[in-house]
Amino acid sequence: MAGMSRLRGRLGWVAALFMAVGLGAALAQVGPTTQIFDPKTHKWINYDRKKARQYYAAHGQVPDAFRRQIVTFRTAEKPGTIIIDGNQHFLYLVLPGLKAVRYGIGVGRDGFGWAGIVRVGRTAEWPTWTPPAEMVARDPNAAKFAGGMPGGPDNPLGARALYLYQGDQDTIYRIHGTPEPWTIGLDVSSGCIRMNNDDIVDLHAQVRVGAKVVVLMQGAALYKGV
Amino acid sequence: MRTIHLAATALLTGLAAAGCSSTAPEPQDMARTTVQTAPADLQLTCASAAATSAGVDADKVLPVGSSQLDATRYQVELNASGQRYTCVVDNMGTVTSVQKAA
Repeated sequence: MAGMSRLRGRLGWVAALFMAVGLGAALAQVGPTTQIFDPKTHKWINYDRKKARQYYAAHGQVPDAFRRQIVTFRTAEKPGTIIIDGNQHFLYLVLPGLKAVRYGIGVGRDGFGWAGIVRVGRTAEWPTWTPPAEMVARDPNAAKFAGGMPGGPDNPLGARALYLYQGDQDTIYRIHGTPEPWTIGLDVSSGCIRMNNDDIVDLHAQVRVGAKVVVLMQGAALYKGV
Repeated sequence: MRTIHLAATALLTGLAAAGCSSTAPEPQDMARTTVQTAPADLQLTCASAAATSAGVDADKVLPVGSSQLDATRYQVELNASGQRYTCVVDNMGTVTSVQKAA
């Protein structure tokens, strides 16, 4: 009898696990998805990590929409201001004359997206990457660099980093390069804004310390500076 | 003959109305997400209008949500120093209303 009771308890636990996994899968499908237009089929297709990697391997670059370009941008914000549209995966650098440079970006994955009004506190070329303590604890590869990974082409921060501050406090979020350029256009990070290395070098050359940064993200998990 | 012509015209009109046109977007517009939001510059236009309406510094107003109302207008939800505002802006950047949310 006690054995039957234990068996029922185990079956109930297994059923609950399957329900939780199913619910998780369903919720994962509810989240926003990047799509790109396929000119051959004239259909919008989902653009996930696998598809992005295939596209990059075939074309050697990201889709047109995520490449650097000058666009019309009607705003009263000062030239030099950075506007990040996290939902659409674009970063705008405001130019004079109602124009902006638009760059493709990768942003925080589900639960890691944030919004706010911050500023560029400092910048670095080929920055050192120091993994946060929780990443060191869970990831043996990150643990190797607990004391800091020197800058270079394999460094997760890429060629340049803009450190985002709220007042005089480092938010721990950065706009930085990446050794994984195919991830531009996707929700992949832990909250940092990633750009391909050519783009972050271009942005870094035009941005001043103190520049205002507005981060727009519908459904953000966190707000900074407001 | 006239009947066939009319039928063909009706069919083409119907297809266009149903969105069956095969016109492709411009290359720079060939990406989107399944969450449709207002363009970033229009969200900021609303933030500026809400700052004036709320009497607060524009640096303290953040768009927190947006949606498309129809072919030419967007609604933007804003946080203005803790107060909620709703703004309607058209695709030319003209703000048609700013209201404090209930």
